[in-house]
Amino acid sequence: MGAQLLHRASPALCLVGLLAAWEALVRLAHIPHYTLPAPTLVVRTLIDNFGSLAGSWWFTLQITFGALALAVVGGVLVASVFALSRGLEHALFPLAVVLQVTPVVAIAPLILIYVESTTAALLLCAWIVAFFPILSNTVLGLRAADPNLRDLFRLYRASPWQRLRLLLVPSALPYFVAGLKISGGLSLIGAVTAEMVAGAAGRNTGLASRILEASFRTETPKMFAALLLLVATGVAIFWSFNALSRALLGRWHASEKQ
Amino acid sequence: MNSHRIHNPIRNLAAAVFTLAGIAHAEDKVTFATNWKAQAAHGGFYQAVADGTYKKYGLDVTIQQGGPQVNNRPLLPAGRIDFLMTGNLLHSFDNVKNGVPTIVVAAMFQKDPQALIAHPGQGYESFDKLKTAPVALIAKDGQFSWWQWLKVTHGFKDEALKPYNYNLGPFLANPKAIQQGYSVAEPIYVENQGKFKPVVHLLADHGFSTYSTVIEARTDTVKNKPDLVQRFVDASAIGWVNYLYGDRRAANAMMMKDNPEMTPEEIEASVALMKQQGIVDSGEALKGGIGAMSDARIKDFYEQMVKAGLYKPGEVDLSKVATLQFVNKRVGMDIKSKLAK
Amino acid sequence: MPGRAIISLQRVDKRFATGVTALEGVDLHVAEGEFVSLLGPSGCGKSTVLRLVAGLERASSGEVASPALGSNPAADTAFVFQDATLMPWASVFDNVWLPLRLAGESRGDSRQRVLDALHLVGLAGFEAAFPAELSGGMRMRASIARALVTRPRLMLMDEPFAALDEFTRHKLNDDLLACWQAQGFATLFVTHSVLESVFLSERVLVMGARPGRVVAEVVVDEPYPRGAAFRESPRYHAACARLHAVLATLHAPVDEVLR
Repeated sequence: MGAQLLHRASPALCLVGLLAAWEALVRLAHIPHYTLPAPTLVVRTLIDNFGSLAGSWWFTLQITFGALALAVVGGVLVASVFALSRGLEHALFPLAVVLQVTPVVAIAPLILIYVESTTAALLLCAWIVAFFPILSNTVLGLRAADPNLRDLFRLYRASPWQRLRLLLVPSALPYFVAGLKISGGLSLIGAVTAEMVAGAAGRNTGLASRILEASFRTETPKMFAALLLLVATGVAIFWSFNALSRALLGRWHASEKQ
Repeated sequence: MNSHRIHNPIRNLAAAVFTLAGIAHAEDKVTFATNWKAQAAHGGFYQAVADGTYKKYGLDVTIQQGGPQVNNRPLLPAGRIDFLMTGNLLHSFDNVKNGVPTIVVAAMFQKDPQALIAHPGQGYESFDKLKTAPVALIAKDGQFSWWQWLKVTHGFKDEALKPYNYNLGPFLANPKAIQQGYSVAEPIYVENQGKFKPVVHLLADHGFSTYSTVIEARTDTVKNKPDLVQRFVDASAIGWVNYLYGDRRAANAMMMKDNPEMTPEEIEASVALMKQQGIVDSGEALKGGIGAMSDARIKDFYEQMVKAGLYKPGEVDLSKVATLQFVNKRVGMDIKSKLAK
Repeated sequence: MPGRAIISLQRVDKRFATGVTALEGVDLHVAEGEFVSLLGPSGCGKSTVLRLVAGLERASSGEVASPALGSNPAADTAFVFQDATLMPWASVFDNVWLPLRLAGESRGDSRQRVLDALHLVGLAGFEAAFPAELSGGMRMRASIARALVTRPRLMLMDEPFAALDEFTRHKLNDDLLACWQAQGFATLFVTHSVLESVFLSERVLVMGARPGRVVAEVVVDEPYPRGAAFRESPRYHAACARLHAVLATLHAPVDEVLR
């Protein structure tokens, strides 16, 4: 019983230990707050500035999940097209690969030049990062249906809609979910990277801009506070998609049967 | 002095020994970080390296460039550089406000060349029409500093703000757009690439009265090595005098090596503008030498920024912002009178 | 038990696009309600025969008649694969319900028939389980239940028990015969096991390879129900011996499960 409790609590204990060590290091070595702020100072700064940081946080969340939603829609649609037509897949897949390998850091400023609205440019950058894993995984998944099950569906004269709904989609689900888990984190990274590199404007600014602003104004604890929010968001995305994966696949897919 | 030398061999010997001792004494290694890639606005510092002025003052100076994606500022309090160039006093106010132990020791520019530029014939000939522009291309640094002042004091709106990534394309393509720039730099590039002379509005002409290209140092450098700071400030001021009024070809060559995108024509055009607009050598510098500063002007600028809502009254202890102990000593003015005929 | 033919192949050839001739001149027939095995080494085309009968492949020449190719095929033919081929994301109930569902029957309407089929194969009480939670033998039972839920006239089985251990195989053999006796469907049972073919079938058709064709027929004249005693009897061993002799003449490597 005690061992199990320890096991469940170990990540939290580890984190608390690290934070305590960080706090001790700052205090004992008298590290100035503008170089490395102590965790307590970061938390205090976060609380003090939460009003203004919350708005930026919301903006970053909107870009992140907006890009993710668009990546899901786009990825599933294009994957379906590819699954239907091997010819189209052969012709267009290299384009998708180009999209994947071009570093968003390099093209974000370009996109900002070509796209009118700054928000749309940021969405596009984050989308580019999140799109490919969903596309490639879903294409794989749509092809993954058991050939014997395909034969069975043919035997029982299933309609194309029945085949899609009852066979292809469930077969593709584990692959799609795997892509989703990857893209969840990537859309956050894409949203932040795009804003860091290309910048945001006026009232529509996210946490990346706040980090930059704090950096320019030498407000290091504020940088850390904004960073803390970003980290919390990333962790929340990771956990929720893992939970989603468990919920959808837990009973039947090898990847979740641990 | 020459006559003394001829008539006093013992004094000659003593002078020789002291000079030799000076040469034998190792030069102080100093790193100076700028806020942009090498350009004419950094000319005086490169001059002091190129013509040996820093060496004469016992300094081995390395100039570390800034750039569009480079932020050298955290390096100063972290101890990785010795002196830092910043573009206006806002950064210094922020540092004092946040308890970062740095201080301004000299101000090379009496006028901030920060400007807004626009297409001619689009109605932006008057400064107060600029706020009606549908697109204002402002970079991150400006967004978080003087743009805030423009909003409060001159009615600019965030809706027009678009991030500027140091690419002239969007401005050149959109006649209704305005963008930021240095009055002594961007207009030259715009004329070269866009083939037109842009309208230039200096922020300094509309109330943005800060010093610019100021030299910041750590407070403990000022406390523990004041002689080093004095030598750096003096040599830099002399470097600027020689750059503006003397032979600057070696300095220009150095800058072009650091920043291969610069051309000699652009540099010369920029120097001409600097002189014409009185960026470096005007106002207090005419009396106290390049680098001159006054408490009154710092206080005035701070109060303007308080009015603009960037700071709360009394939030910044102005006595910690700058020290005048190293400037206002007319350093370099004798050289200037010899060169600037 | 023998009646009119429910399956009929006449001079059937099958060539694949790769150039391989899987079948050449195959003649066979299965009567209504008859239990027939197709026995042969790997590569003799017995699975191909099954797929032709199921309508999953088309013959290159010759005639194939089977309920699966008729006007109302869906309910009449069922197929059991070597792999249980269950939908892993669906419960046992939903898996067995599938053929009815594809024919447009709702879950409620199908409920009794699904439960009956599960009961028939010995899986009563497991309708809510997922395939991942079942043993190999239980999964195969579920697959058979799915095949039986539409009360087919014809069962096509492609080495369904090859992947199971001996104990489970024997149990499933017994249960299969019990289902067959209860429901009376015709069965075409593909296997490479001499022992299994003799135990289960009324007739064993031996197929040779390269090209695939029917080379011999052995009648197993033993009444049903057949139990463990049959496996020990001289008649059983004699039938097995006759089949071994035929297989030996084929000069083909015989993959056989000799237990």
